[in-house]
Order: sequence, then C-alpha cells, then structure tokens
Amino acid sequence: MSDSDRRDDANPRDGGDLPPHRAVDRSGRLDSTERQGTPYTESQVIMPTVKVVAPFAFTYGLFVTFHGGGSPGGGFQGGAIMAAVVFMIAFAFGIESTRTWLANTVVVALAVGGALAFAGIGLVPVALGGAFLQYDLLPIPIKYGLEAVEIIGIAPLVAGVLMGLFFLLANGFALGGDGFEPDDPDESDAPDGGSGDGDAGGDSASPAAVADGGREHGGDA
Amino acid sequence: MTGALSVTAPVAAQVTAIEASLLAFVVLTALATAFARDVLAAVIIFGAYSLGMAALYVFYRAPDVALTEAAISAGVTTVLLLLTLAKTTRIDHEAAFESVNYPAAGAAAFLFVGLLLTMDAIPAIGSPNAPVWSNPDVTQWYLAETYAQVHVENTVMGVLAAFRGFDTFGEAIVVFAGGIAALIVLRREVFA
Repeated sequence: MSDSDRRDDANPRDGGDLPPHRAVDRSGRLDSTERQGTPYTESQVIMPTVKVVAPFAFTYGLFVTFHGGGSPGGGFQGGAIMAAVVFMIAFAFGIESTRTWLANTVVVALAVGGALAFAGIGLVPVALGGAFLQYDLLPIPIKYGLEAVEIIGIAPLVAGVLMGLFFLLANGFALGGDGFEPDDPDESDAPDGGSGDGDAGGDSASPAAVADGGREHGGDA
Repeated sequence: MTGALSVTAPVAAQVTAIEASLLAFVVLTALATAFARDVLAAVIIFGAYSLGMAALYVFYRAPDVALTEAAISAGVTTVLLLLTLAKTTRIDHEAAFESVNYPAAGAAAFLFVGLLLTMDAIPAIGSPNAPVWSNPDVTQWYLAETYAQVHVENTVMGVLAAFRGFDTFGEAIVVFAGGIAALIVLRREVFA
C-alpha cells in the first residue's frame, strides 16, 4: 500500500482526528488507535528493593568507571550501569516522575558535555603541537589522562545517551505539531506532545508558539 | 571434513560442568527466544540469554566483555525493548511457541552444520598456541608495552583509550549520533 493511498483512505474515515503519519492501517496491525499506556503500578516489592539496590548499583557504576585502569570495566560499562540505575528508579517510581526529577537539561548536559570533554582532552595535545590524544603532552600523568577520558568523557556520554533513549522510547512517537510537519489544528489532542515542549519552549501560551519555541530550541542544541 | 568430530571430543573433555550447563542454558534460551510466540516472553528470555552469555564470558576470562554484555544486552536493551512493547498493542496467543517454519529451520541447520565443519580450523579454548594469543606483534606486544607506556594495568582500557584512542573517539561520537538519530526518528526535540 503506497503512502498517498493510505492517507486518502484514512483521512475521511477518521475525520481528521489523527495526523497522517498515525493513520490507521487497513489491516489494523501496527499503528492501532488503542495504545497501552505506560503500565505503571506502585509495587510494594519493587519500590523497597530498588531503594536498597540503587545506591549500591550506582556506587558500582562509579567504581567500574573510576577504577577502569586497574580492573575490568571503564567509562562505557560504568556509564551503562549508572544509566541502568536510572532505568531501575523509573520502573519503580514511575517514568514520568523520574523524567521530571531528571530534567532534560541534565540528560543533554551529560551527553554533550561528555562528547565535548573527550574532544577537548584529545585536542589539547594538538594545540600543544602533538597528535590527537597524545597523553604525554598533557600537564597530568598519562594514567590520569586516560582516566579523564573515561570518567568525564565516555561515562557521561554513554549514561546521558542511554537515559535519553530511555525517556524518548517511553514518550514514543511525537503525535502533535511538535514534529517536522506543519502544525495540525488538533494537536491539543496529543496525549504527551506538550510535556516535552514545555521544557524546551518555556512559557509559551498557544500550542503553535510552543511548537515554534521548541523547534528553535532544538536548533540551538 | 572428518576432523570435526575428532576435534570436538578432546575439547569436550576439558569443558567443566559449570561451563557445560552455561552453554546449554545459552543454547536453550536462544532457541526459546526464537520460538516463543509472545513477544514479551521472547524479550524476557532474551535478557536471560544475555545474562548467560555474560557469565560465560567471565569463565572465558573476558571480564570487560562480560560487563558490557551484562550492562548493555541484559540490562539496557531488555528495558528499551520492554518500553517499545509497552507502546504497542500486545496480542494474546493461544499457543506458547511458534510453529516451526521447516524451510527456514532447514536453512538454519544447513548453516549450522557448515559452521560446525569450520571448527577444525579453530584452536582449542585456552590454547597457548592460538594465533590471537601467541602473536608477538599484536597481543603480546600490547600485554608487554601497555603498562610501560600508559601506566594502566587494564590492557583493554589502555588499548581502547590510548593506542586506539582515535577509534574510541569515533565510537563515542557514534553513540552520541545514535541519540540524535533517535530524536529525529521519534520527532522529538528534547530527551526528557
């Protein structure tokens, strides 16, 4: 079934309730209208367990990151473990409250800061006339140069990107006018499209202004 | 071609009971992942498979790989797949397992036998003569030189962060680009 065919078929039936990319397929297979919400229930088993386990798991992630030079592990594994702690907390106490607790700024700062730190550590020796990541030109011992790449470069980058993927997948496909398509008049129907833009656009009032503000913000980041 | 069986016999004699049970666990969970009809069950069994693989890597003395397998495959991937399932509709199934597609199973068995025949050329587990270990220009050189040159005990990290640092930088940027790509595909402008 071609795309245009599908839109022509779907629009009159749905009365314009759904944006084109969410049109109901004829076979009714993939993009069904009845979606399961985020299946969160407060569990008296999971919440205390996570409360007990999370500090130890986070400390283990820090250990794997900081002790990567002397024992198995490193920034990638440690960052993944620390991100998994956030997943654990989100599963126990709800993804939405974890999203509010851990603002978008933190996630983006971790990912972008990690990438910039790695590039910065690599480029300092270049500025001093050496090669990329030539550790012996850094003003610190070579071992600390390697550890710096792992601790302030790779670990935050991996943790930030993994947390971002988690929150992105929990949010799902953007349904309202906050995508790249022209704004739909019915975007107020979108269940969770507005929450993401509220962080980005600030204090915009109308939905269209929120979408525009979000787009500019995304361009800057 | 006749060597396939004659080589597996002495190797099997060296495999301990824990390794054998881990190998059986991994094979069984892999088959169960392929044949489970409910996607949620398949995802959970796949997480168990990854955990078995991580334990197996520990026994084969690759703790770095084991940590990555446990954190990424058993933890993060399972969670992300579960989240994806929560966003879709789940279909109730009567049967627990998929019916076997015999042409596909035949092709898989053919590939399996073909790969098994190449076992002849693979050195035994832990063999000191395995080229990947005994090679004086690569493995032995890094083992000898890593601490002398970059002062870290973990040779894997020394190779990744120092000797192959530029490659690692590229990999880190690939991870970063993966996050950006997910933003674009899901039409979002903020992560959280």
